[in-house]
Amino acid sequence: MSDDPKRQTIVPASGSAAVRAPTSASMLAVPIVRELLAFVIADETYALPLRSIREILKVPPITGVPRAPKDVLGIISVRGRITTVRDLRRLLKMPESATDKHTRVLLVEAPDDEVIGLLVDRVLQVYRLDEDEVELAAVVGGDMSEHVMGVGRPRRSIRGSEEEQDEGNEEILVLLDPGPLLRRS
Amino acid sequence: MSDVHDEFLAEAQEIIEALSRDLLFLDQAQKEGNVQPDLINEVFRGVHTLKGIAGMFGFQTLSAMAHTLEDLLDDLRLGRVDLSQEVLDVLFEGVEGFQRLLGEGADEEAVDVKDFAQSIERVSKKREGGEVTLEDLDLDESVLAVLTEYEEHRLRTNLSQGTPLYRLRVRFSLTTIDSNLEELKERAKSVAEIITYLPSVGGGDGDEIDLDVLLASDIPAIELGEVLAAGGEAELERIGRKGVGPETSHEALMPPPLEDESPGRPMPTSRPPAPVDTTPPERGAPAPQKDISADALSLRSVANTVRVDIRKLDHLMNVVGELAIVRSAVARITEKIRAREELRQLAIELHRVNRGFERHLEELQEGILDVRMVPLGQLFDKLARIIRQVAREHDKEVRLLVTGAETEVDKLIVEELSDPLMHLIRNAIDHGIESPKVRELAGKPSEGILSLNAYQKGNHVVLEIEDDGAGMNEELLVQAALRKGLIAQEAADEITAQDALELIFMPGFSTRSAITDLSGRGVGMDVVKTNINRLGGVVDVWSEHGSGTKFTITLPVTLAIISALLVRVAGRDFAIPITSVQEAILLDRAAVRTVEGREVISLRGSTLPLCRLDRLFRLLPVQSDRRFVVVCAVGQRRVGFVVDALDGQQDIVIKALGKSLSNVRGFAGATDLGDQRVALVLDAPGLLEEVLRSQELQQLGIEAHE
Repeated sequence: MSDDPKRQTIVPASGSAAVRAPTSASMLAVPIVRELLAFVIADETYALPLRSIREILKVPPITGVPRAPKDVLGIISVRGRITTVRDLRRLLKMPESATDKHTRVLLVEAPDDEVIGLLVDRVLQVYRLDEDEVELAAVVGGDMSEHVMGVGRPRRSIRGSEEEQDEGNEEILVLLDPGPLLRRS
Repeated sequence: MSDVHDEFLAEAQEIIEALSRDLLFLDQAQKEGNVQPDLINEVFRGVHTLKGIAGMFGFQTLSAMAHTLEDLLDDLRLGRVDLSQEVLDVLFEGVEGFQRLLGEGADEEAVDVKDFAQSIERVSKKREGGEVTLEDLDLDESVLAVLTEYEEHRLRTNLSQGTPLYRLRVRFSLTTIDSNLEELKERAKSVAEIITYLPSVGGGDGDEIDLDVLLASDIPAIELGEVLAAGGEAELERIGRKGVGPETSHEALMPPPLEDESPGRPMPTSRPPAPVDTTPPERGAPAPQKDISADALSLRSVANTVRVDIRKLDHLMNVVGELAIVRSAVARITEKIRAREELRQLAIELHRVNRGFERHLEELQEGILDVRMVPLGQLFDKLARIIRQVAREHDKEVRLLVTGAETEVDKLIVEELSDPLMHLIRNAIDHGIESPKVRELAGKPSEGILSLNAYQKGNHVVLEIEDDGAGMNEELLVQAALRKGLIAQEAADEITAQDALELIFMPGFSTRSAITDLSGRGVGMDVVKTNINRLGGVVDVWSEHGSGTKFTITLPVTLAIISALLVRVAGRDFAIPITSVQEAILLDRAAVRTVEGREVISLRGSTLPLCRLDRLFRLLPVQSDRRFVVVCAVGQRRVGFVVDALDGQQDIVIKALGKSLSNVRGFAGATDLGDQRVALVLDAPGLLEEVLRSQELQQLGIEAHE
């Protein structure tokens, strides 16, 4: 994965306008530690490194693949490329739910140069977190899964406006590591 | 269609491709005022050969057309007609006509030969007078007598251009004359134009022969002598005018002004000398020695390649497929042997041998795929012809820049690419590149640039078609899409620039009126996209209003296009490669019997085991009154796969499933059926094997472990 500017331009190809912002922001002098795309699964907020996201799609018709692992929803054609779509709910062992108008497929760069589609409930926005807003799993320790990189605690609120934020209701982003998450089962 | 006929088509196609390429060079040379005689000769020879073989195979129109064109070329060769853009137009028109006549289903009336002959008539106004006489040259009359008309023409041309003429006398052994001549030609290539070889008047003696080589060269005589002699024995002499020393001023030999109304041929001050082929075609009977050597030379120049029908390669590929089945059968037998304790060692050896077999098989497969590869340059040459034509039609000045013509892709891809590329290029010239005036107003050079770039990137080939024209206006694109009801207002409000550009690929977007409104592009862009997708490729667009447009096509290097039977099982589409399918029949439920828990039917006297695909794939069966049996066979083994419906036969491109699905058995890949539908392609031999094996194991009383 590189920081090649060309890569950046393909990210928002058919995604939401929100994803577009960082391209210019990343040129600012302020050191940005992590750029993350936040999304919701089963009412919890997760995030993947923005670099690993190629595109965000509305859910196309998915062709089921018999005999495939349970978390594989099927395959889709992304402008002629056959792409496997996996259900992030199932990967994270969460209850399933029906798709609605907010459901999206994130095209994520997986190990082995494969691009995998991940079904998520809703895409939120891009975050740029400073170093002190991220707690890495290694530091936190404990019983975190291999695919969890750490936890992000943005100083500004995620979903609501400023007034919703108070000490007891701090937002938490679970930072996922696409490598272990999407490694072949 | 007979093999002979196919052979003719293939050869004719090759000649036409070479002709187009040479005409393009000629076009370039004409513009630069530096037309090399051997290029015209090359074109003449191509047309002549085409005429010959067309006549032989009964393509009368083609032959007649080639004949008229040959006359024009002969006049060009002999300097009776000047090469102008008008003449080039007719030459290009001729090649275009050949192409049409050879096209699929073309009849003899596809081209109006009379019309064409008139075009030729129009441009071939012969120049009159202005000839330089050769009589004055200090050449023996016996020499002048044997010169062909072409050779005389070359002598005259060089004279009128003031290029000094020389006579080189060499002595060659009769046994090595061919190679000696070849060497001489090679040495002369960059410094002189060889006009002819003649046996010396003095003759040779015994095993040796003296040759007089007439040549024209701009470089000083001393240097010329050194280059040509190169260690051998040779005598160089300047040919002057009779009675005058060799220092004659050239002005005296300049032709009088032309009476012709056509603008005079550009007279370059220094003309780079050009090598001339030693095989002047079919012109009288020159000196016999020359003929012998010329024949020998042309024999040696036969290329080290063979021409192969692509279908033969397809056949070889199928054989490789069959061998793969044999390999898996051997592997299966090996497993059985291994089960016997006392034969274990034997099984290990067999396994090792089979692994070796597998490796070689892979090599064979790669080799065949490699043979199918052709350079994209073949296609680029064809496109260059069209670019020139379209540019002239639209009064645009276009320069073509090509890189990566040597990039190789599967022959089939090249074929399938030509239409989409043609479309893109026509659009680029038609709507992308502005007229010279508009360009100048915009501060651009009047000549537009169209680039075709190809390069390999991993397992893919990338093709870029880029122009420096007007580009596309996203706002106008969105407005047009709204007007046509292709997108909703809300979508239009939040559309990104990139998405706006991609609107051009929407079916229904591209209509004639749309282009005039937009002065943009859009003739059948959805078709372009569909065609490229069908090849397993993708097309991306980039454009900046005012500065140009770029299309990037990414294609697989090789293609696996197969014919497949589309079927429906439990409401889903599947494709079965037709090579595995023997037949498809209606399932007669009454005829189904059960043998040891297995469903079978009787098909023409033999028992056919059935496999219900919905059960095999654990899909929820759908209610259906009629079902079908697709009989698949691998070698002698057959299984009838029960499906809900048959959806017809279709050529599909198999695309590999992602690596994350590499452990899933039973599928050879997937294919894009268009409109976002994707169907899985069954691995018929694999499934058949699986079904039969589980059956065998059942008979042996062993539980299937899958």
